[in-house]
Amino acid sequence: MGLVQRAIEAKGIPTISISLLKEVTQKVRPPRALFLRYPFGHPLGEASNVKQQRTILLDALSALEAITVPGTILEPGYAWRRHRFE
Amino acid sequence: MASRARVANDLLVQLFKHVPWVASRWARRHRFVEAPGIPWAPVAKPLSAMTLGLVTTAGIHLKDQDPFDMVDPDGDPSFRVIPFDARREDLAITHKYYDHSAADRDINVVLPLDRMRELRAEARIGGIAAFVYSFMGHIDGPHLKSLMEETAPEVARLLKRDGADAVVLTPA
Repeated sequence: MGLVQRAIEAKGIPTISISLLKEVTQKVRPPRALFLRYPFGHPLGEASNVKQQRTILLDALSALEAITVPGTILEPGYAWRRHRFE
Repeated sequence: MASRARVANDLLVQLFKHVPWVASRWARRHRFVEAPGIPWAPVAKPLSAMTLGLVTTAGIHLKDQDPFDMVDPDGDPSFRVIPFDARREDLAITHKYYDHSAADRDINVVLPLDRMRELRAEARIGGIAAFVYSFMGHIDGPHLKSLMEETAPEVARLLKRDGADAVVLTPA
């Protein structure tokens, strides 16, 4: 996915991705990423957990605006199934 | 021999899907395309004025589109164009490299369609691009060249055409 992201950014469109595999993101180096230590198939969290999905999407959008150094990976650190989203 | 290779690959797929450390180990040892530099396009306007595009590698497609190629061990570098306003019941996921049972119940887990609609309704974002572009990820071997030189730049062009000011990408 990082390669697709890089191609879009190279065409002049700013991008933010959610990453579930930090090792890969560190190697492929997309311009901006939000890393979550979540299982595959759950980049925005759990089914029907609207608050969690919304928080993660808003975090990604905040990262889009906040990151100024190319290659930055932000980690909100929400523990899988333990963090309570309010 | 071909069938033995297929069985070995299927076993790897199952391990990848269900045993987290297998994927981490794969990521550490696998050789990824390491391009020089990092492309950068500065954010030019506030979120409330942006039209946002969505791209995913979760293997989502419309039911009447061809599914992604699950036989080729190097994956499938093609993409599907999905109208943002497509009905949920018209979407399907073809991807054997991850457990998509949660996404089958709630697509927002991999592609935040409803969450984006809510942010648009609240005017937190300016708008949403008319089309979502969907890949399947896990692309390797000769397909990497097709992805990097053909399909990914094509999607970038389409997003420009759609007026996307920024793009959110979600993996599987």
